[in-house]
Amino acid sequence: MQPSQGVLLTVLAVPFLAAAVTPLLYRLIGERVAYFAAAVAAVAFALIGSQFGTQGTVSLQWIPALDVSLALYVDGLSLLLGLIVSGIGVLIFTYSGAYMHDEPGKAKYYTTLLVFMGAMLGVAFAADLLALFVFWELTSVSSFVLIGHYQDQADSQYAARKAMFITVAGGLFMLVGFLLLYTISGDALGEATFRLAGQGGMIENAGAMQEALRSEGLLVPVVGLIAIGAAAKSAQVPLHIWLPNAMEAPTPVSAFLHSATMVKAGVYLVGRFRPLLSTPEWELIFAALGLLTMTVAAILAVAADDIKELLAYSTASHLGLIIAGFGLQSVYGAETGAFHILNHALFKAALFLVAGIVAHEAGTRLLSELGGLWRDLPITAAVAAIAALGMAGLPPFNGFYSKELLFEATYHAAEHAGGLWWLLPAVAVFGSIFTFLYSIRFLSLFFGEKPDAIEHVHSPPLTMLAPPVVLAALAGVVGLGGISATFGMHFRPLEDFINIVVESVGGHTEHGFKYYLPTELTPAAGMSAITIAVGAVAYPSYGRIAAGVERLIAIDPLRPNFYYDGLVSWLDRTKIVTGTVQTGRLRTYAIWLLLAVAGLALAGYAGAGVVLPAVSSMAVEPAIVVVLAVAVVAALAVTRAPSHIAGVLTLSILGFMVAIFYILASAPDLALTQLVIETLVLVLFLLVLDKLPEFYGEVDRLRALRDGAVSAVVGVTVFLTVLVSTAAVPGQPISAYFIERAGVPAEHGSTLLDFGGGGNIVNVILVDFRAFDTLGEISVIAMAAISVITLISMRERGESQ
Amino acid sequence: MSTDPRPTDGDTTIIARTVTRVVVPIILLVAIALLLQGHNLPGGGFIAGVLTVTGFALIYIIYGLRYVEEELLHRTVVPRSLPTDESETEPPITKEFGEIFTIGLALAAGSGIVAMAFGFPFLSQAVLFVEGLPLYDHMEVASALAFDLGVYFVVVGGLLTILAVVGAE
Repeated sequence: MQPSQGVLLTVLAVPFLAAAVTPLLYRLIGERVAYFAAAVAAVAFALIGSQFGTQGTVSLQWIPALDVSLALYVDGLSLLLGLIVSGIGVLIFTYSGAYMHDEPGKAKYYTTLLVFMGAMLGVAFAADLLALFVFWELTSVSSFVLIGHYQDQADSQYAARKAMFITVAGGLFMLVGFLLLYTISGDALGEATFRLAGQGGMIENAGAMQEALRSEGLLVPVVGLIAIGAAAKSAQVPLHIWLPNAMEAPTPVSAFLHSATMVKAGVYLVGRFRPLLSTPEWELIFAALGLLTMTVAAILAVAADDIKELLAYSTASHLGLIIAGFGLQSVYGAETGAFHILNHALFKAALFLVAGIVAHEAGTRLLSELGGLWRDLPITAAVAAIAALGMAGLPPFNGFYSKELLFEATYHAAEHAGGLWWLLPAVAVFGSIFTFLYSIRFLSLFFGEKPDAIEHVHSPPLTMLAPPVVLAALAGVVGLGGISATFGMHFRPLEDFINIVVESVGGHTEHGFKYYLPTELTPAAGMSAITIAVGAVAYPSYGRIAAGVERLIAIDPLRPNFYYDGLVSWLDRTKIVTGTVQTGRLRTYAIWLLLAVAGLALAGYAGAGVVLPAVSSMAVEPAIVVVLAVAVVAALAVTRAPSHIAGVLTLSILGFMVAIFYILASAPDLALTQLVIETLVLVLFLLVLDKLPEFYGEVDRLRALRDGAVSAVVGVTVFLTVLVSTAAVPGQPISAYFIERAGVPAEHGSTLLDFGGGGNIVNVILVDFRAFDTLGEISVIAMAAISVITLISMRERGESQ
Repeated sequence: MSTDPRPTDGDTTIIARTVTRVVVPIILLVAIALLLQGHNLPGGGFIAGVLTVTGFALIYIIYGLRYVEEELLHRTVVPRSLPTDESETEPPITKEFGEIFTIGLALAAGSGIVAMAFGFPFLSQAVLFVEGLPLYDHMEVASALAFDLGVYFVVVGGLLTILAVVGAE
């Protein structure tokens, strides 16, 4: 069944429209805007839900000249991501209402969060590589704003910059991959297209695309570039370092962006490209990347003392699990990824919200300072138990089934290929042991003795408690479905849904997707048993393991942060950026700006092979020659002017000469405008003149030469532009139309509609034929005035007003 | 903010003051003439707007900010400092300048919407010939004049704002 275009466009538009009115609404209803945002998310959720069971593309022309359309694609995978984003969005907005009660910047917070939600839905439904990329970067930008929510704290600034730097840089690699795919699609499909999914898209012709990529030798580069983009976004080793820092954001943001949704974008990308690029090279790259991340991040989580940091590393680890699943080519791999996206979103978002409650009510986030909280927070403890045991992969909780599928997939791959591939199941088990350890450690903060330092812990408000309870209940239902399926009662709706997702990532089973507790000793069940047994044995020595890991990550060359911080501080120290581009001086910015414009224009002319038009005749009236000569002399004199007054007056001579030139060239309107503007500028200059410094200091000869060269380049560019653009005469000059239509026709009635009816063509063009342009120009004037007011006369008003 | 609010106050000659008194009304009249004749002869909203602002700028330079504030307007042009309390006497004159260009923008856009109301594309203009008027005999009324008036107001409001704010620095 085809999805409905109207519904999909509404789903995409609603969050952005809501974000636009949020600042206004915040002034009216205050922090209750949280519930407005939750309602928006609920509407999106319902609309996406109504598309359940549909599949296909709807498209809307966006940039017809470049053949870019806003095409939206619906299948199992996009429905899964869309439902997770909007569904968890509802819960997060509700939770934020209470959590953000005492926090600053609420209007900005809700606006950005809504924009993020819209962008994320865009990522989920985009069928087009360009649209996907635009939405993808928009999520990075909104994540930057949200991580830096506490703008004046150095940690937040560092974290926001780091996240932006890594995710956006990764996105650029991905863009190069997309462009390569676009070029290849020209060979493979006959016509180059950005369309990824749906009719005539790349996925539909995956075989031809793979063949073309292979014959051009571009398969590995494309897979690698997309892997870098996905790894940066989904915090895969060694690009995972931004995620723990991103925990500077308010906890609902961490739960929403940095565990349940945004970091899923990279995973989604891998799932989306899986049917297109699934090859042995793909399997090697993604299985290795995913399993490495799963293990390394799980080990790092064990060493974490801050509960949010623990959850951040754990998120990276579980994303690694999903990526490894999508990497493996067997159907079990597809099932692992599809099912674990859902499971992870449920238990991890719940755990983050639990962490938020703990931090909010107990006043600390350090594991070493917490314990025995179940007496004060019984419901929270129950939620944490269901979610953390799911995270640990303990049967019968939800995480167990998807981890079991991963074991099965790795075992299958190893059995198939043999040799070094046996490393895969071994690494999977090894990483899972650490997952088990930190999950139990997280849970332990609710049990045992309560430290004396913690005073009485309040129970959280209902709006903070309800969202994690809902998530844990859903996770519990998934787990119960597995138990009942063991006895033959399958939880059909869920299994069917996961089956659609599996099919959309390129996995096919004959009897559909099923999950249940193992009833006999399969290899996977054995691996699970080893994991749990070793984990239980090792748990009593948790402290020593954590200390060992800490010693290991104290070795600088092993830490990716060592390289990141080293690079950043190297850039600071050597002043490569601050000394040449970002000097804070207007002259430097002007030079770079002008040179860039001139360089791009000249390169454009060179690239397009523009030939200089032949100048037919140099014969001009002597009057014009005189006027222009005076102008040139004035221009030269400006540079030699001894004082500001002399300089300004000489500059005016130049301006007035240009005005006279317009008169001689029979353009009275231009001349009039030039004269008036010249006068006004002169007057303004005189107004500010005695505020300028008398003397700028001795001019450096080298700098004078450089500035001279820059001005020469700019002058040549402008000269060439005028020459080239005036030489191009279209076949049917538009002036004929204007001349015919502007004036009053010889015979006319009492009203004129088709004709401008004015003797002054210039003005008729301005106010009638091209009135839309004029409207744009006066809008710019109004905007300039508003900017002047805000920048100058309101600059001392801070955020407080 | 500058310590001396009167950039060139006090050091202008009597000649300059007298000439300004005579010239400014002429400038304003010419500006209005340019605005009205723009449809058929050189002129138009933009030029007229800039010319009007030039007239004001002249007063401003020759007589100084304080004269403009105290003698002509009886109020401040721009906030000289942060409002100390909520009961600030009157908002500065830039508020009115802001209103001028808001009105102008609304007028220009509105004249386009009127065309839409009659079923023509946005910003279509029409001309009406009125016959048998005394003194003028016949007159051409262009709907574009409304649009031009909008342009005029935006230019005047915008430039006066910039002039006032920058001048007060």
